[in-house]
Amino acid sequence: MNKRIRIGVDVGGTFTDFVLVDEERDLIYTGKRLTTPDDPSAAILDGTARLLTEAGTEPAQVHSIVHGTTLVTNTIIERNGAKIGLITTKGVRDTLEMGKEIRYDLYDLFLEAPPTLVPRHLRREVAERVAPDGEILLDFDADAFRATALDLIETEKVEAIAVCFMHAYRNPDHERQAKAILMEEFDATPFTISSDVAPEIREFERTSTACANAYVQPRMQSYLQRLETELQAQGHSGALYVMLSGGGITTVQSAREFPIRLIESGPAAGAMAASYYSTLTDTENLISFDMGGTTAKMCLIDGGQPDRKHDFEAGRVRRFQKGSGLPLKVSVVDMIEIGAGGGSLANVDNMGLLKVGPRSAGSAPGPVCYGLGGTDPAVTDADLYLGYLNPDYFLGGEMRLDMATVEQAIEEKIAKPLGLSTLDAAIGIHNIVNENMAAATRMHLAEKGRDPRRYQMIAFGGAGPVHAYGLAQILKLKRLIVPLGAGVTSALGFLVAAPAIDYVRSYVSRLEQLDWGHLNTLFKEMEEEAKGLLVDAGAQPEEITLTRTADMRHIGQGFEIAVPVPEGELTPGLLPGIREAFFQSYHRLFERTVRDVSIESMSWRLAASAPVPNIKLAFGGQSSETGEALKGTRQVYFPETGFAACDVYDRYALHPGDSFTGPAVVEERESTTVIGPGGSVTVDPYRNLICALP
Amino acid sequence: MTDAFDPVTLEIYWSRLISIADESAAALLRTSFSTIVRESNDFGTVLMDANGDSLSENTGGIPSFSGILPRTLKHFLARFPKETWKPGDCVITNDPWLATGHLPDITMAMPIFHNGTLVGFSGSIAHSPDIGGSLWSADCRELFEEGLRIPPTKFLIEGEPNELLQEIILSNVRLPDQVLGDLNAQVTANQVCGRRLHEFLDDSDLADLSSLSSTLQQRAESAMRRAIEEVPDGVYHATLDADGFDEDETHIECTITVKGSDLNIDYAGTSPQINRGLNTVMNYTYAYSAYPIKCALDPSTPRNEGSYRPVTVDAPEGCILNPRYPAPCNARQLTGHLLAGVIYRALAEAIPDRILADSGSAPSMRAVFNGLDPHGNRFSQILFASGGMGASAHKDGLPTTAFPTNSGAGSIEAFESVSPLIVWKKEFRVDSGGAGQFRGGLGQECEIEVRSAEPLQLSLLSDRWRHPATGVLGGEHGATSRISFSDGTIPHQKSRTTIGPGMRLHMEYAGGGGYGDPKTRDPELVLDDIKNGYITADAAKRDYDVS
Repeated sequence: MNKRIRIGVDVGGTFTDFVLVDEERDLIYTGKRLTTPDDPSAAILDGTARLLTEAGTEPAQVHSIVHGTTLVTNTIIERNGAKIGLITTKGVRDTLEMGKEIRYDLYDLFLEAPPTLVPRHLRREVAERVAPDGEILLDFDADAFRATALDLIETEKVEAIAVCFMHAYRNPDHERQAKAILMEEFDATPFTISSDVAPEIREFERTSTACANAYVQPRMQSYLQRLETELQAQGHSGALYVMLSGGGITTVQSAREFPIRLIESGPAAGAMAASYYSTLTDTENLISFDMGGTTAKMCLIDGGQPDRKHDFEAGRVRRFQKGSGLPLKVSVVDMIEIGAGGGSLANVDNMGLLKVGPRSAGSAPGPVCYGLGGTDPAVTDADLYLGYLNPDYFLGGEMRLDMATVEQAIEEKIAKPLGLSTLDAAIGIHNIVNENMAAATRMHLAEKGRDPRRYQMIAFGGAGPVHAYGLAQILKLKRLIVPLGAGVTSALGFLVAAPAIDYVRSYVSRLEQLDWGHLNTLFKEMEEEAKGLLVDAGAQPEEITLTRTADMRHIGQGFEIAVPVPEGELTPGLLPGIREAFFQSYHRLFERTVRDVSIESMSWRLAASAPVPNIKLAFGGQSSETGEALKGTRQVYFPETGFAACDVYDRYALHPGDSFTGPAVVEERESTTVIGPGGSVTVDPYRNLICALP
Repeated sequence: MTDAFDPVTLEIYWSRLISIADESAAALLRTSFSTIVRESNDFGTVLMDANGDSLSENTGGIPSFSGILPRTLKHFLARFPKETWKPGDCVITNDPWLATGHLPDITMAMPIFHNGTLVGFSGSIAHSPDIGGSLWSADCRELFEEGLRIPPTKFLIEGEPNELLQEIILSNVRLPDQVLGDLNAQVTANQVCGRRLHEFLDDSDLADLSSLSSTLQQRAESAMRRAIEEVPDGVYHATLDADGFDEDETHIECTITVKGSDLNIDYAGTSPQINRGLNTVMNYTYAYSAYPIKCALDPSTPRNEGSYRPVTVDAPEGCILNPRYPAPCNARQLTGHLLAGVIYRALAEAIPDRILADSGSAPSMRAVFNGLDPHGNRFSQILFASGGMGASAHKDGLPTTAFPTNSGAGSIEAFESVSPLIVWKKEFRVDSGGAGQFRGGLGQECEIEVRSAEPLQLSLLSDRWRHPATGVLGGEHGATSRISFSDGTIPHQKSRTTIGPGMRLHMEYAGGGGYGDPKTRDPELVLDDIKNGYITADAAKRDYDVS
């Protein structure tokens, strides 16, 4: 049988991760290469070739490669994108630098402003103006635009151009004229038009998105081009897809036009994997908990789909501080990320309290236990001290952890200054990082108006399964799912994602004053574009699902809610139904209804998706041990028992139907699952650990 | 005093109490109608102990509300003694003297019972979408023109609405549904706070908050005291003048006495109260005095009652910073926002690297438009925009950023979509930042055209036409602000007027003051400022001797 291999590739800052699924043989192979920052395609080609050899197959067998990358996000964080020019409506070129005119930290008098991607002398203006209803108030000065573009390109040598005109989301005519000039007369320079990349109201966010897209465009375009060519040269004839920030996959062609939409493609894969498991385990409401070396990410999965939102902040000058970065209008998986990872460092603050994170030891020098020169104790060090990690079986035994130095570091740096025993200091580090993650999760639930009691948790990432039980306890969750292969779970997301894309058009109007003809035109445009794109990405036209929603609010309210919109031709007769749908959505979120305030629409959205590939991840053919699952016991600390002998299991020797009770630790190569006293675990048919908490 | 809690437990408990206040804030923000709550973060949530002392405030809590809620609660407790509170009670007020200084701010508090014992109070403050009376303006002559005053009253009685009170409130406001919606949002926020405190007490096995509360207050207090001790003892003095109202200019005398770990701010000598809405009640004066001190001396310690104990503020009764009832006070920000500048100027020599030069964005300048849009819908929109922030020893002042308040700017497109107005220009104001080793932040220029067929009502709230933001330690003044109409006429800076169809309003926002001698500015930075058009070549030559 032909073309049965699917490959997922995640280009990270340090490592490029690979996962290969051979559905026919029910096998999963994983691999890891060092990322090659100058030309990431080198690591991809090399890693793919090795993996295919390992799996005993060849490029011709590859059905598809799905690819995610941190290149876009890193370009923005490291500020090493292109030199770009911005052309705006006369009078508003400073919008990009003024931003929201807000201080993201109320008490820091000396805070650093979020970065501006285009310095003022490269921000130019041309005469034109459109009103909010689309009426043209001032004609577009094409000659001035041409002269401005020429000056930016010829004199200033900008490498890409962004164009953002006022209300272009409502009437893009002037932006389209500008685009025609750029295409016809300056075809060597990449450009981004705001109404193409983010046809949404709010000029700062739209300008920022257009600029960020232009900023990463030259680099991403050449990279994707090279990758495609070189894969073909290697004999790949399968499709190459890219994962979008919202968790859908798309074609390279579309990614080249709007690379900014890849900004969260890596984290999106983790959420897609968690969604896959939520369906697999029949879990309606799931908190996805992914804890790695530097950060923890939490995301809510309801009904098999991750929460999505339509804005994102990139390149924050203060990493975990809202408002300190560049706002982008892109569809992303809605997740919170906090500075809590295995490498998060403990320290004593000036009030004599113990703090953990957000500073991280990273991978070099890493936690003290790596023995690579780290001196400040990190979360991983505390986990080791408390017995959760096995010093002789870290990363499957590839790295030996140094317990003696750890004990000394915790004692010197934490225990002594605080007047605690070393044990209490280690417990403190472990507990505080759990509390920090619990607080962030609770806050995320509170902001979205969700009830934590409905949720279960899935844990992955290297440190996720170590901390999941404690976190679930704090959050009072009753069930915890730990999939096999916690270190590669995220990459599996690339293989279980479907072609999908979101479109949006802003059209602000009170519902009773809607121009229905205009609205139908908007949806028609979006639907045609979406179908074309998904078919290009391999979907069958008849299996494409189109879902319409609108962002609506009460007049005067600053907060929009998503309201379902009927399919087909929209007519005034549908108004009562749409209004009722608004009331229902509103009530669901806020538990009340306000009927006598008018409703207005802000943006109209279309989500288009193809069905999720029917992939079986039974792990049946995965490395499996036939011996005794119970490897022995070791001293592990739990609050209920103190340091006491605790069962240690070999994850690979646990089989569907097996069960055991906590306290227990379960070891696998990339992680360790910790189960507290009172937890009872069963192994499901997919070899997930399913833990019921007391 | 020895702590009853080890440093790990205390860290966990403290974070948890702050996140309780934050969750309460999230509930309020999510369910509130008021644009002003969202756009200018004009709200706050506080968890208080059984004595009514603050335990934790929401992280984003704004300066004008810092530390006030516990004071309001003390007034509630005077009216309704502690033992009379029942579960589900909710007491409300908007009395400027008891609460936050003007009628639109609604304060609500609810008791929190745990196993039958009163263990604390949840409180919230939010700017109501409307409170009757005149629209937001500075020119009312009495409090009674400014809207409805609600004395401390039960809004809920054991969970049931006080129907009569609700009816009175709703009959006196323009947007009754939104007002009621926001009152309920505050109740929700208070309830979330109460529920989360229950869970916390259950999880922690604490019977009540008393020992935790005193420990946390003591930690916050000693952090603040340590910070004050770093300021050399002494008596520091500065004055400030502002436009005030017509011939009644505002003059502020500020004397700061630092002695050991105590810091007193005394405003003796300040202008008397006036019969226009510029008066700031003592609570507001306190809040806007404590905030700049906290920012400069101890920015990172979480706030609770203890943070405020070492800082005392005095202002003679009857002065503009401590007016007698019923002085009008609707636009009290026009006076209160000035305090940070005069406090920092007084402390400039003592702690030169901890302070800011005066900000052009203080006080905030506002234009409020009211009328009918072309569809005949009634609208009311405030143009949110800021002048420049003052410079510091570390960097140039931020352009177009509010300080000490933190009201952001909304989108022009969104503004235009809900009003018959077009903003033709919203851009940096060249040369408006005061020169200095570090330059004051730039103000901005806005030009707004009326597109409706009918004239609109316009209320202006502005200052700094005659008195610029001053520089410190050798830094120069920022540019003053200006407002004019396209026909060349100049409106009153604090007035209600009309603006006709086709007219344009031109607003120039003040720049921030500079820090340090301009001649010591790095010439590279000057050249960069010229290249980017933040300053002109002429100004560079004149102020910096760079060309």
